Amino acid sequence: MDAAARRADYADARFVSTRVERLSTRNGALDMLDSDESAGIGVRVRVGGSWGFAAARGSERRDAEGALERALAVAAAQPAVAAAPLAPEPPARGEYESPVERDPFAVSLEDKLGVLAAADAGLRTDPDVVLTLARFQAFRVDKLFASTEGAMCRQRLTECGGGLTAVAVNGDESQTRSFPASHGGHVAQAGYEHFAGLDLAGEAPRVSEEASRLLRAPACPAGRRTVVLAGEQLGLQVHESVGHAVELDRVLGREASYAGTSFVPANGIGSFRMGSDLVNVTADATNPGGLGSYRWDDEGVEGRAVPIVRGGVLAGFLSSRETASEIGLDRSGGCMRADGFARQPIVRMTNVNLEPGDAGSLEELIADTEDGLLIETNRSWSIDNRRLHFLFEGEAAWEIAGGERGRLLRNPSYAGLTPEFWAGCDAICSPSEWRLVSLLECGKGEPGQLMRVSHGCAPARFRDVEVGVA
Amino acid sequence: MNALGVAERAVSAARGDALAHVAHERSLMLRFADNRPTQATAIDDVTVELAVVREGHVGRASTNDSTQEALAECARRAEAAAEAAAATSPPGPHPGFATTAARGDPAAARRHRGHDAATAALDPATGGAALRAAFAAAEPAGLSAHGIWSAAEEVRAVATSAGGLALDRTTDAFMKVICIAPDGRSGYASRTAVAAGQLEPEWLAERAAAKAAAGGEAAELAPGEYPVVMEPNAVGWLLDLLGITAFNGLAHAEERGALTGRLGDLVAAPSINLADSPRSPATLPRAFDAEGTPKRPLPLIQDGVARAVVHDRRSAALARTAPTGHATAPGGDPLGPHPVNLVLAGGGAGDVDELCAPVERGVYVTRLWYANVVRPKETLITAVTRDGTFLIEDGRVTRPLRDLRLTDSVLGILGRVEALTGAQELTSDGEFYGRRFAYGVVCPGLRATAMRFTGAAG
Repeated sequence: MDAAARRADYADARFVSTRVERLSTRNGALDMLDSDESAGIGVRVRVGGSWGFAAARGSERRDAEGALERALAVAAAQPAVAAAPLAPEPPARGEYESPVERDPFAVSLEDKLGVLAAADAGLRTDPDVVLTLARFQAFRVDKLFASTEGAMCRQRLTECGGGLTAVAVNGDESQTRSFPASHGGHVAQAGYEHFAGLDLAGEAPRVSEEASRLLRAPACPAGRRTVVLAGEQLGLQVHESVGHAVELDRVLGREASYAGTSFVPANGIGSFRMGSDLVNVTADATNPGGLGSYRWDDEGVEGRAVPIVRGGVLAGFLSSRETASEIGLDRSGGCMRADGFARQPIVRMTNVNLEPGDAGSLEELIADTEDGLLIETNRSWSIDNRRLHFLFEGEAAWEIAGGERGRLLRNPSYAGLTPEFWAGCDAICSPSEWRLVSLLECGKGEPGQLMRVSHGCAPARFRDVEVGVA
Repeated sequence: MNALGVAERAVSAARGDALAHVAHERSLMLRFADNRPTQATAIDDVTVELAVVREGHVGRASTNDSTQEALAECARRAEAAAEAAAATSPPGPHPGFATTAARGDPAAARRHRGHDAATAALDPATGGAALRAAFAAAEPAGLSAHGIWSAAEEVRAVATSAGGLALDRTTDAFMKVICIAPDGRSGYASRTAVAAGQLEPEWLAERAAAKAAAGGEAAELAPGEYPVVMEPNAVGWLLDLLGITAFNGLAHAEERGALTGRLGDLVAAPSINLADSPRSPATLPRAFDAEGTPKRPLPLIQDGVARAVVHDRRSAALARTAPTGHATAPGGDPLGPHPVNLVLAGGGAGDVDELCAPVERGVYVTRLWYANVVRPKETLITAVTRDGTFLIEDGRVTRPLRDLRLTDSVLGILGRVEALTGAQELTSDGEFYGRRFAYGVVCPGLRATAMRFTGAAG
């Protein structure tokens, strides 16, 4: 840092060591058993208004010095610009380790494969099911951060989880069911105890049976309906239409070349309506078990809770020291995260949560709904580059008629415009129904970065939604 | 770094049937937004993947540390994984790596023109000059320029315990420019090439600027089916999704693929001829796949008839056929193999203006965005148009159109193709997640009689 301080207005360095273990079975046989490790240094410098970043594997002094030289060279090669100062932040100091009851990397491979094999066998109970998958995954990231402002902090984050998928085919029709979520299952910032608690083997026969039953279920009819969203599908709705929309780099146009911009205006805090009065959203980096939880972000800002929407009105943004300064915020929201040592930190989601309401349990919400659809488990998603128009399809839906859960429907797609959709939110279940759901591959940035995030939510009801679109 | 030497040392650290795949990336990427540089990333990193086979099960481990100690530890992890699988499961389907990369000259497979020495120098000044060219085109027109310039050298090596060796050295370069007008209209242009010297930053910026500056109030179109003219970039998006859904040999072997039971059937218009052409100089050539299997041309759709799907060693064993050189990971990726050198043959139209000529009222699409598969067996996808959507009226582009969401089957769209331009472009979106693996789709522009748009976007 001393060498960097003499040649840059600001510099930071992160040594990051990553360990990943992924196991899966496929139709009863081993599908994947990967054990990946990487380590290296990422050095970021700011010279004038230009950023430079270089990454190199290794942990030696020469590795860091080489990265510093290249970071300075690429910063110098770019057109010169003026830049806002970074929002002030006290230097981060200390150590942190996320709670783990049972180290997932210390459990034997045979034990993990045994759990997966039992779950996979439970999925292979229906003749229509042509593909079964059972997954385990664990992540451990050790980070050491230092800056020319005197920061020096170390943290270790451990995550673990898994899931199930069954694919059934009959002629040209193919249907999928997953548990507890699609796209890799449910992962938490926790140890092996989280995976063990998922009870994959216990849920497998139901998952298989539903995949098969969907083949013959009626298609979701087109029209405008009341929709109840729960679990992963509601978490993804929050993620895509609220979380990304309030990333301040997008709002300021910095991501226009790839991820896009936002319909949310930079001057909208306190006045811009995002949804109905019931809608309260908080970005909280302190939630136990959340994949967006940490003690410090990747530019040394302490993780905290930031109000995003209050009473349906915009209350804040996901921000960095640079973007916060640009719109006159006192302090960064602490949302800078990087995918390993070889990517520079960018504004990412912490745990962006829909706060619970007072509509009771899911069953009470269904009982309170005369006519509608309960849509579960995401199958496909797409949203435009301003985060306005979206189209999602769930794996399954149940018709709600007269306050009761009715027949199963296949291909339940729905579409909408973000502010109109959230304006139609007229009920959110109570705190007892609030859960963190996980999304494991949120893509953003150039070069691309994948991030694991969580979203807390309780089932919610939305009126007048366009369904049966795809 | 001697990638081949690392691969040899890695595989020799493992016992039994094993394969080492080494990928060394040196890359540079400069981002810009609103006529100013925003981020610059220089990467020098390596991934060593070791795959060990025991009784048909593959255990895999990776490291980015090439010291002997780290390679030995990586080998132990891969062995432990494979042996745990063998101890707890009946024999698996993987045939092993004994017959992948050939013995002898490791560069024998490298018969392509996929490397440019000047690009491999990774001079940041070249990128800086490209950004200045983009700003110079945008600022005088009152537009803001956004985009990236990137270049890289990738060196890949494979060594097997049976003595097979392979080495491939490639470069790639990519630039895209999105110009945005004060009213929010945007225009896009990009180029992908083996050599950074082929990117033509000024031309790209001017092309993007012209689209963003197109005058007139943006028209709105009601949901429905409309004739469509698509630029090569938009066609490339569709074909890339088709590669993942229809030509995935693992999905095919598991009887859930879009072409299950349809090989030999007419699945697209007779004008559609699609192949995977890894040695074509128009693509980003590749010599072999992640298992060291040499790549070769493979017709996928001929005169509209489905001919083949692609395989890695695992999916080929399941399908009782030969691997085609499309492994994306040693031992096979759980998502299955897919083609990375797609080439769609051109047609007889002189340019996109000629494609528009017969269209009374239709949609002109520059590019697609956030495309995702809805139902893979139907090749049903959804996406939005972006950065240059226009209304075609009476045979010509007349005014900007508000962006649209399309939800349609890719094979269905290809079945409705009426005409293709003669000229093709190497298209890519320049997405580099994980270890850099640059690829693109070579394709012409096309006109289809109908595409299903399900709503407005943007």
